[in-house]
Amino acid sequence: MMRRLLDWLEARFNLTEMFSLLTSFGLFPAEVDSRRPVREALDEALRAPLPSYARWPRILGVLSFILFGFVALTGLLLMFYYQPTASDAFASVTMIVRDVNFGWFVHQTHRWGAQVLLVILILRLLRFFFQGLYAPPREAIWVVAVLALLVAAHADLTGRLLPWDARGYWTTVRAMELVSLLPGLGPLCAALAGGTDLDSLVLTRFYVLHTTILPVLLFVLFYLHFSSVRRVGLSALPEPGRSGRAALKVQVYNLLILTVVIFGGLITLASLLPEPFGVPADPFATPPGARPPWYLWAAHGLVESFPALVPRPLRGLFLEAILAATILLPFLDRASGRSARGRQMVTAAGAAALLIGLILAVVGYRLEGGP
Amino acid sequence: MNPLDAPQDRRTALTWLIRGFLSLWALGAAALGAAFLKAPESERRGEQGRVRCGSLSTLPVGDARLVRHGAQPLFVVRTSATEVVALSAVCTHMRCIIEWNRDTRTFLCPCHAGAFDRSGNVLSGPPKRALAQYPAEIRADEIVVRT
Amino acid sequence: MIATPVLLLALVAAGPGPMPGQAPRSAEMCGVCHSEVRVTFEASVHAVEGIRCSSCHGGDPSATTVAAAHRGDFRGVPRRRDTPALCASCHADIARMRPYNLPTDQLALYQTSRHGRRLAEGDDRVAVCTDCHGAHDIRRRSDPQSRVFPANIPATCARCHADAALMARYGLKASAFDDYSKSVHGKAFLVKGDRSAPECTRCHGSHGATPPGVGDVDKVCGQCHATTRAFFVQGPHMAAMQAAGLPECASCHDHHQVQAAGPALLDTACLKCHDQDSDQVRLAQTFKTLFAGAAEEIDKARALVDQAAAVPFYVEDYRARLEEARTSLTESYPAMHALEVTPVRDLTAQARGIAREVESEVEAKLKGLGWRRVGLLVFWFYLLLTVAVLARFRRRAAQEPR
Repeated sequence: MMRRLLDWLEARFNLTEMFSLLTSFGLFPAEVDSRRPVREALDEALRAPLPSYARWPRILGVLSFILFGFVALTGLLLMFYYQPTASDAFASVTMIVRDVNFGWFVHQTHRWGAQVLLVILILRLLRFFFQGLYAPPREAIWVVAVLALLVAAHADLTGRLLPWDARGYWTTVRAMELVSLLPGLGPLCAALAGGTDLDSLVLTRFYVLHTTILPVLLFVLFYLHFSSVRRVGLSALPEPGRSGRAALKVQVYNLLILTVVIFGGLITLASLLPEPFGVPADPFATPPGARPPWYLWAAHGLVESFPALVPRPLRGLFLEAILAATILLPFLDRASGRSARGRQMVTAAGAAALLIGLILAVVGYRLEGGP
Repeated sequence: MNPLDAPQDRRTALTWLIRGFLSLWALGAAALGAAFLKAPESERRGEQGRVRCGSLSTLPVGDARLVRHGAQPLFVVRTSATEVVALSAVCTHMRCIIEWNRDTRTFLCPCHAGAFDRSGNVLSGPPKRALAQYPAEIRADEIVVRT
Repeated sequence: MIATPVLLLALVAAGPGPMPGQAPRSAEMCGVCHSEVRVTFEASVHAVEGIRCSSCHGGDPSATTVAAAHRGDFRGVPRRRDTPALCASCHADIARMRPYNLPTDQLALYQTSRHGRRLAEGDDRVAVCTDCHGAHDIRRRSDPQSRVFPANIPATCARCHADAALMARYGLKASAFDDYSKSVHGKAFLVKGDRSAPECTRCHGSHGATPPGVGDVDKVCGQCHATTRAFFVQGPHMAAMQAAGLPECASCHDHHQVQAAGPALLDTACLKCHDQDSDQVRLAQTFKTLFAGAAEEIDKARALVDQAAAVPFYVEDYRARLEEARTSLTESYPAMHALEVTPVRDLTAQARGIAREVESEVEAKLKGLGWRRVGLLVFWFYLLLTVAVLARFRRRAAQEPR
């Protein structure tokens, strides 16, 4: 019966073209020929050995896409109840968390999903760096990965303001203070956000950024990543790829198991570690311990660690330089992959930078009086 | 013998059992989504300061009713057949909750004997400010006050 | 008095005798010599109403020499013991005061006061009109710069009553103002600016200033603390204290250094008269236990409600009920003054009961959260089963020949 339904649809839509969307986002590991009917195209695709995306550590990419989908879905559900004005935001979030069935669940899984997504994106970057996976022709993958992390971080930041609670409000204020230090980018971000004073106008803009612009950007970046991977090939084939339906089945089951386990992890986090409900934002009362979000602690620590005579714009320039160096790493490090010695030096430098970053993160955390 | 290699009929039954088991995920997600999307009853939402204060017809003319509303309870006083006044039930002196005296048609604070009239003005005692007044409307025999 | 050459100032003499509202200012020459006094006086309320220097001091205001000015009915600086009569020559005259709607009983009241009686006995160190109202700088009572503006009254009384040497002559302590500033009334009045709190004249009177005596103290305090007074009057302390000549409220709560009354007072105040192991002190401890018990219960309930609000649960109704409990507890404090256990027990039991109800309901809600853990466990069981099934399928697929 399924066959007849497929045939009926095939005669009216290009199902293969639709199927190739799955390929575009790494959910199906081979390209399909959209000129052929879907079953034929699949059979042909499966004849060749399938590269396996769905094994560690390559699975980080697909995992991040699945998480993104999950966060987007829960976000969409939340949009049914949320009201993006300063006077109503907190009340609407109160209603979601308190009165809507499973509202607390959707809210917490959305929040935890976002944090786990950021962690996965950072792990990906670390993996790319330490395995030298940015050598030509893979520069684009690196740049896209860095941009994806930045966009996801911005999405998390804009999302924190939306409940209009005291903690979120002041976290955003601190983060904006940090961002506004960057010459050029700082004023640009402020202009995009609608000003440096957080009011209802800014909230609505953050809402638009958070729900529409940034997710679309992230979606596009995911597409670019997988497109590039399809072009330049996977970094290494650990074993000769299997072919045929069986290989596909293995991949699908891998993905399913992964999804289920991730989902379970998120649900556990949401149930055991829900964020306690806050108080409405008060622009005139700073709660103790108001600090930027965790991914900005290192930057925060770095900026405040300069000796006092260094003017703040200069510190911002330094930060911007680090950002630029990170994005343009493949173009700066031409020697990677060419000599073992060069590789070792880069790895050592990277490890050192990571360690310094962790120390700075602790410093940044403790600036507002930590334990 | 591997149950998955069992003869055809048992295998079909097992397959369907397993399919049903796995599809519980989809069903669970769908049920959760549907429960989530069902909006809460309208009493609970819109706590943007609208308080329901009971029906008008059960409040005699000239009488007052205490309405609990968190830490700021209020009185609704029926001043005529069609009009209602909503007053804060918190004494303006030291914030005790005042009481309505049906015989004298006045409010009395049990703490320092502050007295207020039907409109919330101070009649005697230590309070210096009149009771706060809120806009009240009557919709289909129900008194609704905006705090 | 240096004779100053006459300057061409437009000073016109006022008419003889005090006739308010008539004399043009330019009729006076007094200010030529007494210039600072004149400046001060022109800013006062009497100048606005047309009282001139000669109204109180006599003399000829149009004279250009000292001798001519200080002639006739010139009185100079009035003596302290003559001041009340001088002021009363207008201020006790009903016809004169009617346009201003001012009272005219000040002199009569003053003569009944301690100040007035001692003045009549010849002691002119006591307060007379000018000590409180000023002489040339008299302003309306509603003027914030006036010495008798309500906010300034404690400082005005303290000018004498905080002077230790002066008070020692009369065997009085000079600590009243200090004590008052530390009291709950003083802090409310002086610091918070709460005008419903009493200042000196509210309890002592102003012109008829007399400290309330035994038998009257409870009436003075009871003007605001009416409920407490109503209970006190019913109890045994009223009659007993009057018979013993003890000031009623002040015996336990002090006169001037009244502190916010709390259950802690029951530990110390009763021991002033009663023995440690007497029935009365035991009764006081009973009250204290009842108060403390109810307050504790309400605090416990409030903490639970805050905990529930952080989940978040809907807690507005609980907060409302805890306000009712708090009101019951607040009502029980005045009720204690009748020294009967029953009303206090009833009110505190009411407060405790409400608090306990709220506690048990909130606890039940918080326990309901525990179901989330159970749900999580069931879910994980299901999840692991699913992973096992999927892994089985995967292995089977991996074993298939290519």
